[in-house]
Amino acid sequence: MAASQFPDSGEHASDSSGCHVEVTVADSSQATPPRQTHPASDTLDSVRKGDERPSRLSRSFAKVLRKNQDYIRITIPVTRLDRLPPEWWKTGLVFMWAGFNLFCTTVMITVVNDRVPNKSENPPLPDKFFDYIPRQEWAFKVTEVNGMILVTAWFFQWLFLKHRSIVGRRFFFLMGTLYLYRMVTMYITTLPVPSMHMNCAPKLDGDSIGMVHRVLQLLSGGGLTITGSHMMCGDFLYSGHTVMLTLTFLFIREYSPRSLWWYHLICWLLSAVGVVFILVAHEHYSVDVVVAYFITSRLFWWYHTMANNQSLRDSPHNYLNRVWWSYFFRFMERNVRSTVPCTFSWPVQPPTACFKMPCGRYSIVQSIREE
Amino acid sequence: MKKAGQWSKEQVSLWLAEEGMQEYVEPLQQADGQALLRLSQADFQKPPLSRISPDSGKQLLEKIKTLNIEHHIEAHKNGFANGHVVISHEGDAGASSKTKRNGLVNGFHKELVRIPIPEPAGPQFPTEWGKTGVAFLYAICCFVFTSIMISIVHERVPPKEATPPLPDKFFDLFDRVEWAFSVCEINGMILVILWIIQWSLMKHKSIVGRRFLFIVGTLYLYRCITMYITTLPVPGMHFKCSPKLYGDWESQMRRGMKMLAGGGLTITGSHNLCGDYLYSGHTVMLTLTYLFMKEYSPRRFWCYHWGCGLLCAVGIFCILLAHDHYTIDVVIAYFITTRLFWWYHTMANQPDLKRPSRTNFISRVWWYRFFQYLEQNVKDVVPRSYQMPISWRSLQSGHVKYSRIDSD
Repeated sequence: MAASQFPDSGEHASDSSGCHVEVTVADSSQATPPRQTHPASDTLDSVRKGDERPSRLSRSFAKVLRKNQDYIRITIPVTRLDRLPPEWWKTGLVFMWAGFNLFCTTVMITVVNDRVPNKSENPPLPDKFFDYIPRQEWAFKVTEVNGMILVTAWFFQWLFLKHRSIVGRRFFFLMGTLYLYRMVTMYITTLPVPSMHMNCAPKLDGDSIGMVHRVLQLLSGGGLTITGSHMMCGDFLYSGHTVMLTLTFLFIREYSPRSLWWYHLICWLLSAVGVVFILVAHEHYSVDVVVAYFITSRLFWWYHTMANNQSLRDSPHNYLNRVWWSYFFRFMERNVRSTVPCTFSWPVQPPTACFKMPCGRYSIVQSIREE
Repeated sequence: MKKAGQWSKEQVSLWLAEEGMQEYVEPLQQADGQALLRLSQADFQKPPLSRISPDSGKQLLEKIKTLNIEHHIEAHKNGFANGHVVISHEGDAGASSKTKRNGLVNGFHKELVRIPIPEPAGPQFPTEWGKTGVAFLYAICCFVFTSIMISIVHERVPPKEATPPLPDKFFDLFDRVEWAFSVCEINGMILVILWIIQWSLMKHKSIVGRRFLFIVGTLYLYRCITMYITTLPVPGMHFKCSPKLYGDWESQMRRGMKMLAGGGLTITGSHNLCGDYLYSGHTVMLTLTYLFMKEYSPRRFWCYHWGCGLLCAVGIFCILLAHDHYTIDVVIAYFITTRLFWWYHTMANQPDLKRPSRTNFISRVWWYRFFQYLEQNVKDVVPRSYQMPISWRSLQSGHVKYSRIDSD
């Protein structure tokens, strides 16, 4: 133990929860240099080196002090790497991935529409929610309005985030993956229409030009009934509306300050009401909504746990990276070294010449720096 | 313990004996706490102490000095004096952070640095069979609940004439093979038996058993929900569903229990209830036993892993081949099983993730408290070690070699 090196070290008296070691420390009346080493090691250092060191150090720092009498420079180690590099090109790639998946989903809906069994042959499946709550026609409009509000709110929030490139990348990746999963599930087994009110577009039976028309119509309207583009059936498992409502809410809550609890509450209400009204309108089966919520929330939490816990990245016991997209994850988040802080900034930086230093007080500091 | 200054003569003698200085007990038997603290170098120059002390009292004086400091810490609670600070990490009742300057020259002063000595760690993998019992009850409850739910759902399945099977891509590509489902069930039984054998040979079987029971229970619970809320029609016209009972609760219960007894397998004749399609319980068991077997067996047994993986994959393929489940049932079952397994094991093996925090998103699941209860005392990754389930010693009596150790 280092205690033995001290000129006057005491013996230790052990008690039940630890040892006491007496160490001898230099008085703080001498000029202690403001270094960024740990204060304890600082004092021990000065003790170990004896009497002469403090005076040499104090002489050199007195020189520094004399030069800048207002303030003492504290050198902060400069990190060579930027911990949150924007890397807009990665965001661009992921945006294309999301766009591609959205496009494929639209094509898939068009294909599946042809496979949906007729309402007369396959009546709607028994659903517990439908047994209790009869259909309300206006409910789906509420859902879509809520969805549009949430998407707009998220868009503006994203625009004002400081690290919008990283957050945008995450959003597009999750959205793309969720729509990819959706493509798979809606294709492999086709559920019948949930309610007799649904009017499906007539089957095309291989008319490719008609299919292209339908794809474009769906894309332009965003798949919403309000815009009149939601006339195709078959995309029931799982619900894309639930995915958007849940995902935008999760992102809004995650990347906004915690103090804005009222904002979170409003968004949560919008999201929950939207999801429930999908069922009230008998537009999706209950299982579609439940599975969509489950997959969205789990994927969001999975991704963000992997991204925010740096210790997981090198750990051998990280089972989270056994998912198929872990390679893409590493590509996207390789250079993101810390949790994305919730800071906001103007999307476009105004030129600094527009703003002059308003306070005359700072001019003295500036002139010293220019010396 | 009272402050040193207030010690009586007996306490002083006791303290000297405790410190290993019995030789001082006799000459100092008249000294009380105050007298002890006032002992100085000079006292050791005079008899009787000079006769007894081998090092002229240096050791005893040092010990007294420590006592003195503690005494001062309590008695003189002044403010900071010339930068003398006692560094103390624990919130002891006695130790405050202020004390008097201990008269030393040369600009040095003494400080008391507390070094916490860690307590000896408890067992890293406590068996805690109680918790395993709780997990077992949970799994049993989930199984019973599932059986009841299947009975209820059976009543809601639309008749196959009214609602023909839904269009499914796999069914379009592959026609039905009759014997395929038996293959699947045999594979399932082999995997379960192998897993039970492997589990019984494990050293930390209570911990691993707890995990398996919890995950299986939760998966069946989720399955209850999904099969209840929306009822899919039968996947193939070959299905022979038992007739509906329409509210006859007793027979429904009996049917549910019969299914539980047979394990829900067609081979045992207990799988004649329909409606439990989303999602596939067979896939869950196949996948989960394979994941556990791979996880808790040594890495070098790659043959074993491959064999089990093959059994699992073939079993799942045969479910679809037999047109016994929709493709979506199998896909969702596989997805949920693997995600839940990896989620649980990541949380269990990373100490950072066992505490809820802002960055720990995976602690937001609803079963997080239950997880903490089960895995709180498991401090590290469970090693893959094996031992015989019953020790040979209990079987053999009068083993002469060990008798000396036993008698300790």
